[in-house]
Amino acid sequence: MGMDSEKNSLCRLQCSYASLDEAFEIGKETYRGQQYSQIYFARLHLMRTLLYSLVSQWKPQTPVCTVLGLEQGKECVIVGTLYKHMKLKPCILDEYSKERSAVPLVRPHNFMHDDDYLVLEDESGRVKLGGDLISPSVFVTGIVVALHGKETGAGDFSVLEVLEAGLPPQIEFPLKSREDKYIVLVSGLNVGSSDSNPLQLQLFIDHITGHLGDEKEQSIASQIVHVVIAGNSIGIPRGLVNGQNLASKDLSRIAEPIKELDILLNQIAAGLPLDIMPGPNDPANFSLPQQPLHRCLFPGSAAYNTFRSCTNPHSFEIDNIRFLGTSGQNVDDLEKYSDAKDKLEFMERTLRWRHLAPTAPNTLGCYPYTDSDPFFIESCPHVYFVGNQDKYESRVIKGSEGQFVRLISVPKFSESGVAVVVNLRDLECHALSFGTQFSS
Amino acid sequence: MAQTQTLALVEEIESLVSDKLQVVSYKWLSRNYMISSNEAKRLLQEFVEKHDGGLEVVYALSGWLKGSHPSYHIRLVTGPKLAEAQQEFDGNCSIQVYSVQASIPKDPAVLWNAEFIQAEELFKQPWSVDNCLRDNRFCGISSSFVQRNVDGMPVVAATPLTKASVGIGQTKMNVLQPQKNIAHDTIPRADLKSEDVVKDVKSESNGTGSTGVHDQVNKPSEDKEKVVPAGKKKAQSDKSGSSTGGSLASFWGRASAKPKPSSVPVESSNTVSNHNVATEDAQASAREADGSGDDDNQDVTVRRSSNRKRRVVFDLSDEDEDVVSLSSPELPKKQSSQDSKQKDNKSSEKATLNSDTKRENKPMAKEEKSSDKKANQPFQEELSVINKCTNNGKSSSEKPQSCAPDISVNKDSTKNAAPGSPKRRKVMKTRIDERGREVTEVVWEGEETEAKKADKVATKKSENNVSTNSVNSGPATKKTPAVANTTGKGSKKTVNKDPKQGNILSFFKRV
Repeated sequence: MGMDSEKNSLCRLQCSYASLDEAFEIGKETYRGQQYSQIYFARLHLMRTLLYSLVSQWKPQTPVCTVLGLEQGKECVIVGTLYKHMKLKPCILDEYSKERSAVPLVRPHNFMHDDDYLVLEDESGRVKLGGDLISPSVFVTGIVVALHGKETGAGDFSVLEVLEAGLPPQIEFPLKSREDKYIVLVSGLNVGSSDSNPLQLQLFIDHITGHLGDEKEQSIASQIVHVVIAGNSIGIPRGLVNGQNLASKDLSRIAEPIKELDILLNQIAAGLPLDIMPGPNDPANFSLPQQPLHRCLFPGSAAYNTFRSCTNPHSFEIDNIRFLGTSGQNVDDLEKYSDAKDKLEFMERTLRWRHLAPTAPNTLGCYPYTDSDPFFIESCPHVYFVGNQDKYESRVIKGSEGQFVRLISVPKFSESGVAVVVNLRDLECHALSFGTQFSS
Repeated sequence: MAQTQTLALVEEIESLVSDKLQVVSYKWLSRNYMISSNEAKRLLQEFVEKHDGGLEVVYALSGWLKGSHPSYHIRLVTGPKLAEAQQEFDGNCSIQVYSVQASIPKDPAVLWNAEFIQAEELFKQPWSVDNCLRDNRFCGISSSFVQRNVDGMPVVAATPLTKASVGIGQTKMNVLQPQKNIAHDTIPRADLKSEDVVKDVKSESNGTGSTGVHDQVNKPSEDKEKVVPAGKKKAQSDKSGSSTGGSLASFWGRASAKPKPSSVPVESSNTVSNHNVATEDAQASAREADGSGDDDNQDVTVRRSSNRKRRVVFDLSDEDEDVVSLSSPELPKKQSSQDSKQKDNKSSEKATLNSDTKRENKPMAKEEKSSDKKANQPFQEELSVINKCTNNGKSSSEKPQSCAPDISVNKDSTKNAAPGSPKRRKVMKTRIDERGREVTEVVWEGEETEAKKADKVATKKSENNVSTNSVNSGPATKKTPAVANTTGKGSKKTVNKDPKQGNILSFFKRV
């Protein structure tokens, strides 16, 4: 923070920024009509080598074998991909079944049922998992784990212990004490939708760019070095984008929110570096990883060197602190197929499974990669955030090798008026909220 | 800030709020009167102190909230609720005047509206202009590392102003604007590329660009229009992008470059025709440039009006062609006079005006047609007027047709690119075929007409068409099948069939 000799003029702090999004860009992938088996195979391979090395320390005496090599009563360790059979999960084949059995009512937001069971699958075969230690409500399809147990008479595999990949190794957190620098995370702006409050958003912009507030506040604002918008920035009425031709007046209804967003982003980009990620409701592709929003959508803002359009998921490094975040699709999908006490727990699980979106491509749209799985987390981030959630929550988790991760659930700004501010010095974070209630 | 200025501003605020019932927020104030945000807030504070009663004030409170989780809260509250809201803050919260207005609206977004309209205005200004929205000059924090790419050259943001450098009277900003315009009048001379660039401006208006073409894309069309008359000569010689080098060659290049923007979405044909005309006129005559005057504004209006008139001419020619295909061969001559006057592209554009189906390589013409549909009008006499006008070139006459001479002049001075571009046009024709069915077909009408026109034109006009006649008859001879089509007689061997109706002969040919 510097006070210039010029009266009342603070200087904004700067930070070093490096984008690590290359893995998420689908530049060189070609689609030749492949299906999804390849990405599962790549995932299995990637994680199996990792798990084999962990298993040798975890259970040195127990042999590792394939599913087909299971012998009844013999304790061993098997490694494979989990598959969860869910009764309520909508299946296209149900539409063609001859008997229209009465299917229990499905809650649209969660497909869990008590009868769900897990199956472990590797290249050789599958085996149903039994035992009390493994709870289907925690796991989802697509995770690669190592299981220690033995085959029962019924042909199930009775699980004694589960080994997950655990938190990946982390680069060292730069510990030298420095000045306070803040990064602001916000999501769900929903510009243009009827339930967003533009005044609130304008207050937010005024605050971080340094218009609002007295000197003290502006000096706090001058310490904000970066802003990340984590998805759902545009709120186009859903009824308009149903594939039909639009009348000209409807065309402007689609274009207006984007123009408005461009003006708002222009104001931010003129002041400090800005990253914008696409979300489920944004004009970007549907399947993960979502590609960056095109620059032509933001003619005014894209002119700035501070404006960056990023992929979803987004991984970057600021001042040697690693950030990883998504716009919420991975956690929302986990919520539909498994259970946890809060969103942060889902996030923690994805880190421990070392996979950002294990349900992709099963229930989450994903690009059919052929020889890699970009959602595999190789290096543990210091801050892991997920956007478009219901409320602001944050927690720190620790790993077995001293890893230290700040988990942040970023709420939808249009509903809550809350953004999240993270201090880069010690990864403490607090909420930044805005209110414009006038009625008595 | 001088005391007198403050007082004057305070009075202005009062009038705005009481008389015009406008919401005056500090941001609006700062942008409107070119003062920094902090100044504006101070000013509003003074205003509130001086002026008690009758007005509603909205305060912005900011501070840390009480509670277990640290949360920095910023809230807008109205005057009466100020004290109560302050209680929610832990410790001191800063209070500032956010806005003053005559009454508090129910919907908070109304407060934001006036500010946003102002922001929108600023946003819409030409790319080259660095206004207070774009460089964030009135905030309290300076960010010198922010750069904005305009024309491929970064423009570093100015530091925030602490003192008002501009007088009160100035409302919408941009002291810089006149200077920039002058500066950019010279720069974009190299700008005037073919219409695809122009179109890109309209369709994409992408902020940054790397190539030379796109560098200039950033400018909006009005800039171009202003610049057009001023920089025509140079533009012609400096043409880059899709066209080739050299002025003459670039002219041919432009003729073929015109098809390129077929990928560009159909824009308001207005602009298309505007730019078509603009660039055409550009190349044509120096007199055009001079006559259009140096005043940019006038240029714009002149240009626009001439464009409009020009379009009217096109309309007539549309009808022209419709009629041509069905009835008299006389009309082709008038058409041809226009054709010969205009570039080949134009003629083919007109042709495509009639074919509302396929988009061939002259999409611009199609665009013009789509907007220019008008009822049949007696155009013969107008056409003759066109024919009459010679090289005067001035588009000063009120009659719409006077634009055509401009076109004709253009045609003259720039040797037609005739040999290179196709002379055929697609025309919708309705006829009764040999079986008694009414058939509507898309027909290639071309060289025959041209040749005919050439002949007739020679009788009518002298200088305009001499150069083009020979050109016209050249390609005309090449396409004899087309000749048969255009006579409007009963039996036609149409080269282009109605795509839905196959030709029975094709069956045998393929075997």
